[in-house]
Amino acid sequence: MHSNPTERIDRMEAEGLISPEQAEMLRASISVRPTIAPAAALAPVRRSSALYLLLVVAGAIAVTGLIAFALGTGTEAIQDVTRSLNEPEGHGAMNKTLSTFLAIAMLLILPIAIWVWLHNAMVGKEEAVFEAWAQTESNLQRRADLVPALVETVSRYLRHETETLQGVTAARGQAAEQLGAAIEELIRVDKEMSDHLRALSRDALEEENALGALFAAQSQVGRGIGGVLAVVEDYPELRSADQFLELQAQLEGTENRINVARIRFNEAVAAYNAAIRRLPGTLVASVGGFRRKAYFRSEEEARDAPELAFD
Amino acid sequence: MPRSSPSTEQARRFVAGLVIVVALGIAAALALPLPGQKMGAVLVDDAAGLMDEEQRAHVAEYHGFLLEDHDIDYRVVTLEDSGDISLFAVERFEEFGVGQASQTGRGLMLVIDASRDEVRLEVGYALEGAFPDAFVAYIEERQMVPFFGVRRVADGILAASELIIARAQRAKQHAGLESEPAMTGSGGGGATAGAGLGAGPGVGLGAGPSEAPGRPTRSGFEAGATPRETLARYFDAMDRRNGDPSLPLYTPQTRRMLEGWVMTPAQMDNLVATYRTCRGEPTLRDEARGLAVIRYPPAARACAPFFFERSPDGWQLDLTMMQRALRFGRSNAWRFDLSVAHPYGFAFEDWRFDDKGFPRP
Repeated sequence: MHSNPTERIDRMEAEGLISPEQAEMLRASISVRPTIAPAAALAPVRRSSALYLLLVVAGAIAVTGLIAFALGTGTEAIQDVTRSLNEPEGHGAMNKTLSTFLAIAMLLILPIAIWVWLHNAMVGKEEAVFEAWAQTESNLQRRADLVPALVETVSRYLRHETETLQGVTAARGQAAEQLGAAIEELIRVDKEMSDHLRALSRDALEEENALGALFAAQSQVGRGIGGVLAVVEDYPELRSADQFLELQAQLEGTENRINVARIRFNEAVAAYNAAIRRLPGTLVASVGGFRRKAYFRSEEEARDAPELAFD
Repeated sequence: MPRSSPSTEQARRFVAGLVIVVALGIAAALALPLPGQKMGAVLVDDAAGLMDEEQRAHVAEYHGFLLEDHDIDYRVVTLEDSGDISLFAVERFEEFGVGQASQTGRGLMLVIDASRDEVRLEVGYALEGAFPDAFVAYIEERQMVPFFGVRRVADGILAASELIIARAQRAKQHAGLESEPAMTGSGGGGATAGAGLGAGPGVGLGAGPSEAPGRPTRSGFEAGATPRETLARYFDAMDRRNGDPSLPLYTPQTRRMLEGWVMTPAQMDNLVATYRTCRGEPTLRDEARGLAVIRYPPAARACAPFFFERSPDGWQLDLTMMQRALRFGRSNAWRFDLSVAHPYGFAFEDWRFDDKGFPRP
């Protein structure tokens, strides 16, 4: 039965497959719109500082100087040899001006160009971090939106089994109980994860604790889904049905996408963090307000990755 | 003629030199292949040796057609140990530049890990809409794996490719396949399944969509009083994924042939889905020889004709002769193998065929 998550939850509640509390929790878990993505909204305007203003003014002066230089020396650059001939001290007057201009231009323009280049490279790397996060977040949400479908398929099957089998054996009853408990746990952790996702602030990508907590919560959802699938192993009919195979493929596919997006996010963070720590990038970063980004990983991974933690 | 001062001359030389260096740098960068871009991509890399030379060539040729006809860059990699097959697939997808041979960035990569006995079809961004994870899992489990179970790896890959083509054709009709160039690469789309290599026949044969799981039954699948009735029962058997080779609606030769066949659930589903849109013409009979044909308009390229033989029990389906005389081309379009003689030619005397055996409307 294909329908959107909200319709599913309404239907399950109406049919008594889930309790009103569980329905509320599921409703709170679906389609939490990103607080952080899209990337464009994330690019904060926190680069304005006196130094930046200074840089802009310096750039403007440099450009004006260059234009003046180009216009001013356009015709005079041609040396009048008839005037300087046999005048040992007279021949370099114009060239000295030119040399001075060139020297000033080089001294002024080159550092500014390097500065701008470094700044732009950092912006690019930071954008890559935001982009990678948007992917991670949308995959987390995609999985949360699949949870009601899993809950419905399994709950409906359990009800069907209870209604059709006259005498449910003790072993069967125990398995059903386990499955019911696994579903309940999944709904709970799904809600928790969504709460974390919703609570993320604009600066969350710079807070190791916030991302760490979200990572722990999302791992719980992964384990919760795994728990349900593990108990379903005891139900060969349900497990081998095409509808369940389809759902399982979607869940596993989303899990894999989360993993890939997470790896790419951490790689983008590593590249960005390295860029803002290296000289002379670190100067640009401190002036431009580029701050270190947090990794999206477990505590164990953080412990096992000193080279990343060092960034 | 006015001359420049030495300093101006130096500045000009410096600028000219700079321009040349930059130009050379750009030229060199353009000449070098991009990371992951490979010239003459290898379509089949069978490091695990799961196929023989001829099979590898056949798969590569078929996937070459897939690129030509449907712009899908489909690579096959077999190996002994991938570590984590999902990560391996997504990394190699990038590394091999899968999808770059396609104008629209459509890329697929099949990875078979022989040691871990796993298979994964990685789907690039451009094909995620047309090939969702559930479809990929379905063709793996319900089409490839039954062949892998009897060690017919190349046949399993090709059988899955047929379904990929059928899906691509349907997606094209329903505008589910983007024709604009899309981003290459993969975000982890696709599905992983147990490969069941050598696990024996019957692996991956799941319950039918319209029947509760259980043992296949012969009842209700007897030879019909008319060819059309027999055909309706055959479609019903396929819809219930009843792959029992001994159904009474088959001729005795067909039953013998089917005993050694792999009939997968996905093949049966695909047959039903294909013929759902086929509108058959009136049955043509050769009463003297007890033969009949149900054919479809030649414009319906995927709707191959059915052959029937009369028996004391009724009209039976002659899949043996169909299997010998009919061939399927690159886009699942049927044709006659003109080198094969068969007794059903009476039903096609009013049709024209090209030199390859394809019917011409």
